[in-house]
Amino acid sequence: MNFPSATLLAQSVLAGLFTGALYGLLGLGLSLSWGMLRQINLAHFALAFLGAYLTYELSSHRGIDPLLTLAVIVPLFFVLGVALHWVLTRFRVSPFNSLLVTFGITVIIEALLQWTWTADYRKLESSYAEHKLQIGPLFLPVPELITLVLGVGISLAVWFALRSTDLGKAMRAAAEDAPIAAAFGVNQNALALMLSGLNAALAGVAGVCIALAYTLSPSQIYAWIGVVFAAVMLGGLGRPLGPLIAGCVIGVTEAVTMTVTAPSWAPLVSFSLLMFVLLVRPGRVA
Amino acid sequence: MKRAFLIVLAAGAGLAVVPWLGLPAFYESILYLVLHWIALATSWNLLSGYSGYFSFGHGAFFGIGMYTTATLATRFDIPFLWTLPAAAVVAALVGALLGAVAFRVQAVRAELFSLLTLAATFVVATIILNTPIDGGPGVYMSAVAVPQIGPTAAGTFYLLALCAAVLTVLAALAVYHSRFGTGLFAIHDDEDVAEVMGVPTYRYKLGAFALSSGLAGVVGGVHALFISYVTTGDTFTIAMPLTVVLMAVLGGTRHWAGPIVGATAITLLLYAFTGGDSAIIGKGLTGLVLIAVILFMPQGLLGQALKWWSARRDAPAAPAASAAPAHAEAPAASAHAAAPVAAASARPAANAGEVLLRAEGVRKSFKGVHALRGVSLEVRRGEILGLLGPNGSGKSTFINVASGHYAVTAGLIEFEGRRISGVPAHRIAQGGIARTYQIPRPFAHLTVLENVALPAMFGAAALDRQTAEAEAWQWLAFTGLTERAHALPADLNLHQRKFLEFARALASRPQVLMLDEVLSGLTPSEIDEAVALIRRIRDQGATIVFVEHVMRAVMALCDRIVVFNRGEVLAEGVPHDVMQRPEVVSAYLGQAMEERAPVAPASAHAVVPNAGKELAHA
Amino acid sequence: MLELESIRVAYGQATALWDVSLSIAKGELLCIVGPNSAGKSTLINAVAGLHRISAGRMRFEGQDISRLAPHRFCAQGIALVPEGRRLFTEMTVRENLELGSYLRAARLERARSLEHVCALFPALKEKLEQPAGSLSGGQQQMVAIGRALMARPKLLLLDEPSLGLAPSIVLDLFTAIRRIHAEGIAVLLVEQNVGMALDVAERAAVLEEGRIVALGRPDDLMARPELRRAYLGLDAGDEAATSNASARGVPAAHGDSAGAAPSTTAARH
Repeated sequence: MNFPSATLLAQSVLAGLFTGALYGLLGLGLSLSWGMLRQINLAHFALAFLGAYLTYELSSHRGIDPLLTLAVIVPLFFVLGVALHWVLTRFRVSPFNSLLVTFGITVIIEALLQWTWTADYRKLESSYAEHKLQIGPLFLPVPELITLVLGVGISLAVWFALRSTDLGKAMRAAAEDAPIAAAFGVNQNALALMLSGLNAALAGVAGVCIALAYTLSPSQIYAWIGVVFAAVMLGGLGRPLGPLIAGCVIGVTEAVTMTVTAPSWAPLVSFSLLMFVLLVRPGRVA
Repeated sequence: MKRAFLIVLAAGAGLAVVPWLGLPAFYESILYLVLHWIALATSWNLLSGYSGYFSFGHGAFFGIGMYTTATLATRFDIPFLWTLPAAAVVAALVGALLGAVAFRVQAVRAELFSLLTLAATFVVATIILNTPIDGGPGVYMSAVAVPQIGPTAAGTFYLLALCAAVLTVLAALAVYHSRFGTGLFAIHDDEDVAEVMGVPTYRYKLGAFALSSGLAGVVGGVHALFISYVTTGDTFTIAMPLTVVLMAVLGGTRHWAGPIVGATAITLLLYAFTGGDSAIIGKGLTGLVLIAVILFMPQGLLGQALKWWSARRDAPAAPAASAAPAHAEAPAASAHAAAPVAAASARPAANAGEVLLRAEGVRKSFKGVHALRGVSLEVRRGEILGLLGPNGSGKSTFINVASGHYAVTAGLIEFEGRRISGVPAHRIAQGGIARTYQIPRPFAHLTVLENVALPAMFGAAALDRQTAEAEAWQWLAFTGLTERAHALPADLNLHQRKFLEFARALASRPQVLMLDEVLSGLTPSEIDEAVALIRRIRDQGATIVFVEHVMRAVMALCDRIVVFNRGEVLAEGVPHDVMQRPEVVSAYLGQAMEERAPVAPASAHAVVPNAGKELAHA
Repeated sequence: MLELESIRVAYGQATALWDVSLSIAKGELLCIVGPNSAGKSTLINAVAGLHRISAGRMRFEGQDISRLAPHRFCAQGIALVPEGRRLFTEMTVRENLELGSYLRAARLERARSLEHVCALFPALKEKLEQPAGSLSGGQQQMVAIGRALMARPKLLLLDEPSLGLAPSIVLDLFTAIRRIHAEGIAVLLVEQNVGMALDVAERAAVLEEGRIVALGRPDDLMARPELRRAYLGLDAGDEAATSNASARGVPAAHGDSAGAAPSTTAARH
């Protein structure tokens, strides 16, 4: 096994960052749902893929620019998110059962995707995919770059909103102690619905990014679950920048592992990290 | 239980003739799958359904079993049938190892445990994939000889799956009816309380995990030969554990037969929709079914059916809705109140007054908050000791620490001369200390009778199930809950729930009974009943430690009181005496109050305190 | 300003408050005292909207608020300082205070209110950017009161402010409460520490086992037996005179165990 060159290493670090940004983007909605709404939304991944397929459809067959599809996807998914939260609260689903219910939704969406687009692999051919930026010896493919920008940008924006806006502070307060927040006028139900909508919209955005860079197939939904959960838990529930940072750490470690050893060792990294965190500092997570 | 055992065996025997019936191979395939999933779902349920620790790692142990068989059969030429026990053992060992580590960590419960087991699946998969066990290309089993058990290969696999299924179901049945199973169900409802009542939770969870994993390993071993080409990609997926969860939840996780119903239903459902488009519909339908069950029928198909069935036969001695194995009829117990129960645990009155429980310099802090700052006190045999003090003074914390619910930060607690601080709560319970909870914490899914029988089984008395239930009936009579024996705690009102707490605490035949604000929320007449009950309990010979705010009860019952203030003992002695001491009055009523209205001289009270106490104060 | 008419509050099947009637005039300081589990916190939580009342009527400035949604109480002009502070520990002191002025009307005056709170509790000035969970108990109590003041309330509800605090801090707190009251804000104070409470109150009520057993001016209450009885279980006079002693639950004395003989004559209520 030759030790890879510096360029190769740097390129894989970059690749890791790109993947990490996507983990972060996917993990953001999940983390907020779990940390602030006490709902474990397994369907987040299926929603993301739904968004990916919609992007594919609108873009490949209707000729709309993939990034413009966001204009359709974001509002649509917002509504879906609100509906989901409404159902979960109406039936008073416990945090654990929300895991099971959203699994059911995942299966339904997967079936829907397979019905509409079949199990064949689909790849979105967009103008973006053809372009690459080059900085020195390193290549930065545009789709991945878009993902990075969106991932970092949105995470920062959410972080800022939660930190500095009145609405964000109200959400944090309601997440910690809803009755007392209510005593100061915070309508927790309305905020929760809004947050759930936001999370679903984030899934949609992640979907667009996935469509830009990856080949789609309905079974791929499950490939992301494990590693994104790892990023979410390592980053700390409810922290907007957590999944991004943890995602990048995982992504880079995976990429470097893949380059230095064999690609198949990569999953060991994220999951061992996850197990470690769960056993050593579970309080930090839940 | 014997009956169910025999039914399962008979069904197994009956199904065993299928391969000789000359049916098309297609049927054997379906049946193989049904039995395969029954075995997987039932083995999963044994841990997760019973104890509430939903594992998403069942696939890992299934896969370990598969690979153990694959490796032993292809690499080491071990005959297939001998690899099966090996598969079970290896899977069980890995499960035990994971459990040993995971269960040590208190906070790893519910969702965290699920994720941990999920992560473990991927870790195991990666290791197998990257080491010579698999190495990448998968393992071909085509060279392995299929044993000649059935008339055809398909028949053989069918019979193997049948054996695995029967084995698993019998295991689940046996556990269900055993002490082990009762403990697991208690852990499901309230692990902390179960521990405090004497259930060795760590051991039980570990045992269930190992058993569940081992059984999954066997199923995996059989399946390895069935599919004859083993790869990590197909084995260690997330879909498999999720399917198992779905099946068990659909059927009903609280019953040993629930997963059978669920596995059969789902497998047949999926099979009904095979090929192309229908398969997709079938898949979507399973998702819909899972959602519907969680939202509308959380106890699953079987659970719901049992509920309907028992609602119809509403005879007084009808079995409980949870189909728990309670066959005890109400013995000829006399109406409550008068009947003294023979099961007193007291030593003769000659020992009264000896120190039973001793605390020395006990400290307890929570994240910088000092709840107890060096508490020293004694509890003497046969007395009713009151613990009083303003809110936040540490009384409840003391009870929690003495019963083992919390660990002490510093200091010593001794019971009958033996150290109990730092000892696991279930051993403290077995040693003879019982407590009630201020907000009643009954096991929600167990009937009133089962709630009371459990501490009798696991507490100091350590009775077997039959005797424990008989015991439970007596305590129900003592506390007036006989008619509600088969009800669920949710159907009781607060007063009854508090009395249930009493009955539970008493059922373990404790030497020391600690009552934590049992009277709060009760009406005045209910309080009087409770006071009378407490007196009767003491008359049985129990020693009682009694945290309370309802002063008239304290005055009526307590031989001695200890007043706490801000984590320390402020005063101790006879109630009337202590409540007149200036520092106590001040603690309760405040400095200003004390200055304004000096305490009335004790001579106004016609109390006869012991010799040695002064009569006049401040 | 606030009127409670025969309200009943229950937790599940347990009734915590029976038939409680009370009124607070504009700018008045009313104290509720009584032993634990008497229902004091339940009463304040009901007035704050944290808990529904199951029977009776509650009116604030003439408006019926008996069925109002919890998050609408603050807009009425009622602000709560909860038992045990219940600050948002993950947020800074400043953020906690800002949350008090979440509603529009209060938000407009946020800067001024903040200044006012800092003037009232100077110790908080340096702590504004610290996480609320890192403050001492007394400081947290100040933040909790400040948070409520930021809502510019007409009625301030205080639930056991002295809980778990050292006496000297309690004195400071009550000085602050006096100052708040002096500005014209009505105060409903629930306290376990009777001395401090009666010192500062204009009127007071004694709550025992979910009912009001005495109501009046502090001096009057001091002289009456209900207080001592409720807290200390002691009769002020000799028990033989208590003719209203029903024979409830007082069986014959049991045998002696070593140690103090129980007072057989103590239970007389």
